[in-house]
Amino acid sequence: MTQQARNWLLLAPAGTLFLVMLIIPLTVVLIFSFGERAPSGGVVPAFTFEQYANLPARWTAFKNTMTLAPVGTLSALIIAYPLAYFLAVKVDSKWKTILLVMVIVPFWTSILIRSYAWIFLLGGRGIPMVLDWIGIEGVRLINTPFAVLMGIIYGYLPLMVFPIFVSLDRLDKQLLEASSDLGAKPWRTFLQVTLPLSIPGIATGCMLVFILLMGEYLIPALLGGGKVFFVGNALVDLFLQSRNWAYGSAVAVALIVVMLITITFYMRLIGRLGTSRDDVSIM
Amino acid sequence: MTKQIDHISKKKFIEELERYRKGSITRRHFMNITGLGAATAVLGATMSGPQAFAAGDIGDRVVLATWPNYHDESNFEAFTEATGAHVQVNVFGSNEEMLAKLQAGGSGWDVYVPTNYTITTYVDEGLIEPLDTAKLPNYDASAFDARYAEAGSVGGKLYAVPKNWGSTGMAINTAHNGGKAISSWKEFFDISRDSFSGRSMVHDYQLTTIGSALNYYGYSFNSVDESELADAEKLLIDVKPHLFAITSDYQPSMRNGDAWLTICWSGDGKQLNTDIPEIHYVLGSEGGEIWSDYYAIPKSAPHKEAAYALINFLLDPNVNAKEVLAHGYPTADSNTYKLLPDSIKNDPILFPAKELLSPLEFGAAVTMTDPNRAELMARFKSA
Amino acid sequence: MRIYATCVYLFLYTPIAIIALFSFSAGRHASQFQGFSIKWYGKALSNPFVMDALETSLMVAVASAFLASVFGTMAAVALQGIKGLVRTVFDSLIYVAVMIPGIVIGIATLIGLVTVFDQLNPLVSTLWPTGFTPPKLHMGMGTLIAAHTVFLMALVVIIVRAKLVGMDRALTEASSDLYATPMRTFQQVTLPIIFPAILAGFLLSFTFSFDDFIIAFFVAGSETTLPIYIFSSIRRGVTPEINAIGTMVLGVSLLMLITAQLLLQTGGKKNK
Repeated sequence: MTQQARNWLLLAPAGTLFLVMLIIPLTVVLIFSFGERAPSGGVVPAFTFEQYANLPARWTAFKNTMTLAPVGTLSALIIAYPLAYFLAVKVDSKWKTILLVMVIVPFWTSILIRSYAWIFLLGGRGIPMVLDWIGIEGVRLINTPFAVLMGIIYGYLPLMVFPIFVSLDRLDKQLLEASSDLGAKPWRTFLQVTLPLSIPGIATGCMLVFILLMGEYLIPALLGGGKVFFVGNALVDLFLQSRNWAYGSAVAVALIVVMLITITFYMRLIGRLGTSRDDVSIM
Repeated sequence: MTKQIDHISKKKFIEELERYRKGSITRRHFMNITGLGAATAVLGATMSGPQAFAAGDIGDRVVLATWPNYHDESNFEAFTEATGAHVQVNVFGSNEEMLAKLQAGGSGWDVYVPTNYTITTYVDEGLIEPLDTAKLPNYDASAFDARYAEAGSVGGKLYAVPKNWGSTGMAINTAHNGGKAISSWKEFFDISRDSFSGRSMVHDYQLTTIGSALNYYGYSFNSVDESELADAEKLLIDVKPHLFAITSDYQPSMRNGDAWLTICWSGDGKQLNTDIPEIHYVLGSEGGEIWSDYYAIPKSAPHKEAAYALINFLLDPNVNAKEVLAHGYPTADSNTYKLLPDSIKNDPILFPAKELLSPLEFGAAVTMTDPNRAELMARFKSA
Repeated sequence: MRIYATCVYLFLYTPIAIIALFSFSAGRHASQFQGFSIKWYGKALSNPFVMDALETSLMVAVASAFLASVFGTMAAVALQGIKGLVRTVFDSLIYVAVMIPGIVIGIATLIGLVTVFDQLNPLVSTLWPTGFTPPKLHMGMGTLIAAHTVFLMALVVIIVRAKLVGMDRALTEASSDLYATPMRTFQQVTLPIIFPAILAGFLLSFTFSFDDFIIAFFVAGSETTLPIYIFSSIRRGVTPEINAIGTMVLGVSLLMLITAQLLLQTGGKKNK
């Protein structure tokens, strides 16, 4: 068997799966997005841009997603970074593994159950009751954008901590020592050595969390009370309530396009940061 | 304990139930879990034995798609004990959601609970199985009030048998309104934007949420008129920032005090009022929905025999009476009605006065399939 | 720093502690603690739907993690030796599969396959020999496993490829110079090097598939996975049964982790 034949054979299962489970479904979505809604739901084949013209009707959902996804990603980053730094640099190696595992363990309880715990914590008998007790009255948390943000940070924090930890852990401790030996103040060392070296970890973590948030459905559904709506919620609504497959397909296509643009842009940005990092290491 | 009373006749059981009820126990006490729990054990025992069910092996499971807070869980336990089939209960918040799931194929449901006005659509779409009454010996057509049973037959064929009927009104926690209830949809939407801001809820269900907004202007609950719908949309969008939530499962937030006002189905109103007397259930003076829910079998049901057995079991007047006590909705079955305690028969939430019911409308089939209403609801939610 | 870390751990564990606490409540409602009881554990374990859902979730997770690891590794190895159009197509497919949100994968798979099945089913039944009931393609465990596999496979390709790129080419070349068959080279040289990456891919895939709700929500047909069961339970008003399930899943994962750690430690000692 020639090497080429062998390669084809090795690629066959992956290729078949991609064709049947990715290319065909996405093509059907694309075709449907030019169709029309059938009277009782489903789709009538057509060629119309009507569904795309109607996209502004979901503007708020796109706006919510496009604000809460980056804000959620950034908040998770801000909370995760010091912890990852602490775990990678400050903690004794004896405790490192245990503490790291403890970050991941919450991830093994279903996100549904964890969000359910937040329904209770943010509801009238949870944190607001405690606040009431210490004199801050009338605080309402559940079913607000804040509740959704809270759920997002909670749900995705481990995904952010892990890659940053990995990149910081690889960092040569001698580099830090050298920097301080040369009389650099700690924050200067951090800004000029540590932070640039951890950029790959930050990039991976942000990308992971951002992708997941762009398609988020559960957290807004459970903690937003139907009031904080993401594109994901709009999609579920269109397919599972109003049964408008044509319009739903157009919204799905729009979401994919938005993501392609954002992520390509993001990769460019990271690429540029990457080159500036090389400058730092040369310096 | 169950073994000892295995051979109590149904008649004797009803006497027991009556005695139990007439004792020094209050209605509220009777309704709580312990009371029902005791009754359950008794009932579960009398029900065991194959005579009440379809003969033959029905398998070990049956999947029911229904609404929130809609059954007495102990009846399912009794069903499992008697037949060996476990009941999985899936809960939905709107008829649209049920239809969408069935249309997409492979719902896996054996029994579902459609509302009167949706059944013709299911028939048109070929999603619903005509019922074989021979497999439903407990179904006594003559015992049902035709008003709440007629929607089950389409084109002379029986597709669905009545579960119970009810009304759609509102529940208000009067403790936050100076002890006063309200009585109209106008008040509902007005106080939602005022003293109840951040405390009221509407359903995640276009029929009732849009319907109530239409009622606010004095339009028909079922309107598909474009300018009337535009008014309703304006009102809903205006109210939205003041809402606590858009959800069809509003009991938890009403119970824990997060929310004070909600669009409410009468049985939920009854359940809430029983446990928290400050929560009142009222009908809107402008109108609202009167409806009847049915048991039906999807064409795609994987366990049809078990589906018939479950429906037949739930139609048994003794079982149905317990269902009524748990869910608080009125039954259209006179055989079941006879078994209910007087306190239920005279309950103003279950059986409101005629003049309160008269402005209510049954949902219309077109309301379910009208694309404008569906899209209005989706817009309102994503606004 | 230490205080900060403690705060983050508190943030991570308070909700979990609450879940575990309420799993021991005797009351019916998951948000009010009414006396200590372990009855919900018994209820969960004797509820056939919970056990079925768990079984379905495990089967789907094992099958899709296994298939994704095998197919993904095969593709990663093959792609090493391929350039040009095929390479570009596969690379973009991998990129798309990883990047598209789960909800879009779920929806696309649902409407795509329902449409295809609607076309295929009549065709199959006309071609099928009379007298036999023709098979009917439908949404179910098969479609769910396939949907999970396709994008987990993309993930495995990425992980394994990172390892393959770092591998010294001289090793495989030396092996084939010594007249080892390609299969032998793979078994004895490549596989041991990339195995940790495959294992990592498998574990990641398993975790993801086991916890996935949104794809299963659309694609699972009449099958109920554990997350789907939990979702419908949350909607019907949660009893502490759900808390008990969550606590048990967490407990079992912890137990597995500790066992793995112990095994690795003793294994490590033996090697020394």
